[in-house]
Amino acid sequence: MTSNSALPTDTDALVLTGVGRRFGALAAVSNVNMTIKQGERRAVLGPNGAGKTTLFNTICGDFPPTSGRIHLFGQDISRLKPHQRARLGIGRTYQTSLLFTGLSVLENLYLAVRGARKGRFSMLKAGPGDADVAYARALADRVRVTQLLSAQVDAISHGQRRQVEIGMALAGNPKLLMLDEPAAGLSAAERPELVALIRSLPRDLTLVLIEHDMDVALSNSDIVTVMKDGVVVVENTPDLIADDPVVQSIYLGGGH
Amino acid sequence: MIMMTNRQWLMTGAVVVLLLMLPLFLPNFWLANILGRAMVYGIVALSLTFLAHYGGFISLAQTMMAGVAGYAVAMMAPTAIPLGPLAMSYGYAIPLAVLAATLTGALVGLIAVNTREIYLLMITLALAVGFSLFAQSNTQWFRGYEGIRNIVGPEVFGMPFRTHLVFYYVALITAVLMYLLVLYVVRTPFGLALQAVRDSARRTSAIGFSVALHRIGAFALAGFIAGCGGVLITFYNIGITPSSIGLWPTVAVLIMAVIGGLGHPLGAFLGALIYAVMDTFASSIIGHDRFNTLIGLVFLTIVLISPDGVWGIGKRLAGLGGGKEPITDPVAKLTAGGK
Ligand SMILES: Nc1ncnc2c1ncn2[C@@H]1O[C@H](COP(=O)(O)OP(=O)(O)O)[C@@H](O)[C@H]1O
Ligand SMILES: [Mg+2]
Repeated sequence: MTSNSALPTDTDALVLTGVGRRFGALAAVSNVNMTIKQGERRAVLGPNGAGKTTLFNTICGDFPPTSGRIHLFGQDISRLKPHQRARLGIGRTYQTSLLFTGLSVLENLYLAVRGARKGRFSMLKAGPGDADVAYARALADRVRVTQLLSAQVDAISHGQRRQVEIGMALAGNPKLLMLDEPAAGLSAAERPELVALIRSLPRDLTLVLIEHDMDVALSNSDIVTVMKDGVVVVENTPDLIADDPVVQSIYLGGGH
Repeated sequence: MIMMTNRQWLMTGAVVVLLLMLPLFLPNFWLANILGRAMVYGIVALSLTFLAHYGGFISLAQTMMAGVAGYAVAMMAPTAIPLGPLAMSYGYAIPLAVLAATLTGALVGLIAVNTREIYLLMITLALAVGFSLFAQSNTQWFRGYEGIRNIVGPEVFGMPFRTHLVFYYVALITAVLMYLLVLYVVRTPFGLALQAVRDSARRTSAIGFSVALHRIGAFALAGFIAGCGGVLITFYNIGITPSSIGLWPTVAVLIMAVIGGLGHPLGAFLGALIYAVMDTFASSIIGHDRFNTLIGLVFLTIVLISPDGVWGIGKRLAGLGGGKEPITDPVAKLTAGGK
């Protein structure tokens, strides 16, 4: 275990009880029970189609669960709309970047900052020296896209979009951050930057990380959950997970 | 997002000054019946361009929103024939009419809140046709087929509204204000969020915005813009009838916006101008029946050679001749100090 191995607190950040999600006849996720402590780093592993992204979608509300309950810091959020969940402190990234391609990088980040506070309908432009704009710039620094502030998002590279994704997820100062394969498509040179960024997250932030890269996943988590065919198959600490026979059968079987 | 550089502001200013001085050169007919008309219909088309370009919503309800304002001002007008029970001074009637259109816009947005693309088109078309049929069949308030006549508008500095100069200048000032309003709003949090909804509704809600409320808000603002146009159109036509808000006028606004180019608010006015010129001159040369065929052909040609309309052609020509766009400071662009 690594530098961020300080123990999570006793507060439950996220509790899933019997969570399932069906798409027609397909049970993409079934009966998932999971308790994530505040400040915990949780990695979710599993082959493609295991239901990892769908699990994120049930939590953030894009595709709410068709069964089961979700509690965020004790509050039942199962029936809330995505924007209401976001305002309660959930920030997420998407496996395939979902950015505002017609807007600049700065505008993307600025909107993510504004979305987290009142005045979302403001018809007044930000004034000079506006604190939200300044914060958006600071986020750009943090995810290393400062040189791209004025670039329209559909003109920047894949790796840069992944950075903006993370910047937007961080903009609302979330209590729960969910990263969906943040390293996917990044070059070998870009990966250490991503890991450094993950390690620099505040310790009381709760992180759920979907990651195919075993090294990134295992070295950045307190507990690892392995999913397959929509169900949780193993949940354990990173040092024990690699030797787990079930995990070995999934990964050596070439499941991903 | 559209940004105006210093050069573009200069050009806009120059065009406005030119338009302000036109009455020195142009005959009254051109002022009122071509340019004035293009501006007031252009305002309604602008309301569509705003929704389409920044929100990604193609709506056919803009003429209806304008019609609500038109009927509202007519019902409340002190000069109306026949005079309604709500008659009041224009000073109250005009803002109330624009308010009615704004609320109608919000209502349309609410009704269509979950529909997209072709379904949005169908729903707004149904609302537009439904409203026009309702106006036609309601004799008590809407006065049926006949509509409401003699809506001459208020006096401005002691001159009747329908004086060519007065109408021209009021239309021009309103059009410029609406144009600047759109350019301003799209750089505020509200307007940026609208473009966010267009690009990714999922991400927009994931960062805390209510997509539904933003859509309704956008339609309300579109209703406000269309309502300002609708009041002026009613003064221009000296009244309002159900046929003036029927199927063809509804489609005409879409045609104007597309011919001019949905990619920029200016396109709405370019399209309305082309439409007014063709309607005026082509109709008298080839006959009004064939006008529809002609405008249909022009529409097709433009869509085929330049999907972003006349504005798009102009942009490409400017791109060929002019230098590169100057790089703008991204922060200045977002904040009030920016141009
Ligand atoms: N919106 C959707 N509609 C229909 N099926 C979906 C949808 N999202 C995911 N699925 C299906 O659910 C299953 C799990 O997918 P996903 O959660 O993306 O897996 P993972 O992220 O683990 O690769 C897959 O079979 C996928 O096709
Ligand atoms: Mg996935």
